[in-house]
Amino acid sequence: MLDKRKIRLMTKMAIYEKKYGEEDIKISGYYKKDYSSLNTWITLIWVSAGYLLAAALLVLCGADAILEGLTFLKLLVLIAIAAGAYFALLIIYGIGSGKFYRRKHTQAKQRVKKYYRDMSRLEKIYKKEYRDHE
Amino acid sequence: MSSLLVWKEKMQRLYANYSLYILKALQLLMGLLLFGMINYNIGFMKTASSVFCTIGLAVICMFLPMIVMTLAAAALVLVHFYALSMPIAVISVLIFLLMYIFYFRFTPGKSWLLLVAVLAFGLRIPFVVPVAFGLLGTPVWIVPAGCGAIAYYMIHFVKVSATALKSSGSDELAQGLISFTKQVLANREMWIMVMIVIIGILLVNALKNRAVDHAWKIASVTGAAVCIVAAAAGNLLLDEKISYVIIILSAVLGAAAGFVLEFLFFSVDYSRTENVQFEDDEYYYYVKAVPKVGVSVPEKKVKHITERQPESMEGVTEQEQNFSAGRMQQPGDAAGYTGTASERNTEEILLTRSLSRELGLDQTHQNDNNGQ
Repeated sequence: MLDKRKIRLMTKMAIYEKKYGEEDIKISGYYKKDYSSLNTWITLIWVSAGYLLAAALLVLCGADAILEGLTFLKLLVLIAIAAGAYFALLIIYGIGSGKFYRRKHTQAKQRVKKYYRDMSRLEKIYKKEYRDHE
Repeated sequence: MSSLLVWKEKMQRLYANYSLYILKALQLLMGLLLFGMINYNIGFMKTASSVFCTIGLAVICMFLPMIVMTLAAAALVLVHFYALSMPIAVISVLIFLLMYIFYFRFTPGKSWLLLVAVLAFGLRIPFVVPVAFGLLGTPVWIVPAGCGAIAYYMIHFVKVSATALKSSGSDELAQGLISFTKQVLANREMWIMVMIVIIGILLVNALKNRAVDHAWKIASVTGAAVCIVAAAAGNLLLDEKISYVIIILSAVLGAAAGFVLEFLFFSVDYSRTENVQFEDDEYYYYVKAVPKVGVSVPEKKVKHITERQPESMEGVTEQEQNFSAGRMQQPGDAAGYTGTASERNTEEILLTRSLSRELGLDQTHQNDNNGQ
């Protein structure tokens, strides 16, 4: 006979597995600090690459203006501006991505916890069914 | 208004029953519009711009997540650009890559917002974007909206300058790279639109969260008005030629879209607003509670008047049949008369009971039982 409680639990778990399951279990394999620092470093590498690309585009766009009347001092100022913008970007993305991945880890952990709780409930139901059957 | 609410309830029920099909149909429609628009505007590669390709891509993307549609659209744009000129394709790859690195890497699930923004710009209704995104989203939605504006203007620029951009040889690669980058990034109309979209979304989002009556309506109208003013100011100050017809029409449509969205997602009754004040050990609370408007869809009930008239006698007939089968319970038990006894009203049951007493059916049944 159909057990409504069992069906509800299994549906809930199946939806979770479909939506988040694989990624959440991967995330929850890390400690929060490890996960957030690893992903923050990856983000910083991506941001560095992105910054290089954006800088290349800007140089392409304004190459004439930059090269026109270029002096050593002007070059130094340009390098300082570029470095400043780069570090500002790194700081913003470092802080932002750190927060983002910490929150992601917390949420994933909570969902996994609920999933395991549902799993144990389901196991209890099955054990009870087995005992009743015997 | 109540009929509209009933209609909304019906729509919600319909969506609840057929959400999968409705979502897939919308995805297909979006795919057809998007790929059709790309192929119509910049269809430089003949094989990729055919109707079969448009429909095929839309159908394939219908069965896949929205991120795939975004990637397919980007790939289609790049293929057409490559067919026109190599430098354009290179610069476009870089721009798409920048969008991915700085935003979509974090929330790939939100990439469909970029497609919506591109479609809105393509359909000449750009100011629907700030109103709709501001009402339904968060301030972070300025990024996909801005990226959508940039992507649209890039496509638009290539469309209008296709002849000039067509490369004649590999020696022009460097020159092509520089000139295309300059022209795309120095497109003032594009930056005006990006700024308008950003300001509009932030303003609408800030206003709709205020605790004032009709906050969504105020946000929609203000957002649309600010878009008109900002676009007109951009036109005048930077000597641009954004069509006033498009500005006004899209702002009006934006406000209208805001009203529709309010009706669909935020229908409340401000006339029944409750303002309450209370306190605990640490705080004073000033709470404003606005009730939601909800109506239940009237159920259609078919009443067979002609068939129900001889029901009392029908009940007796059924009772007799049940007696003969020996399955009937005691007549005193109302639930035992027929399978439909619970649906009858008290009067009918009493009438049936008295009739069966008068006809002596009780005794017959008792005698039957005694005999058994």
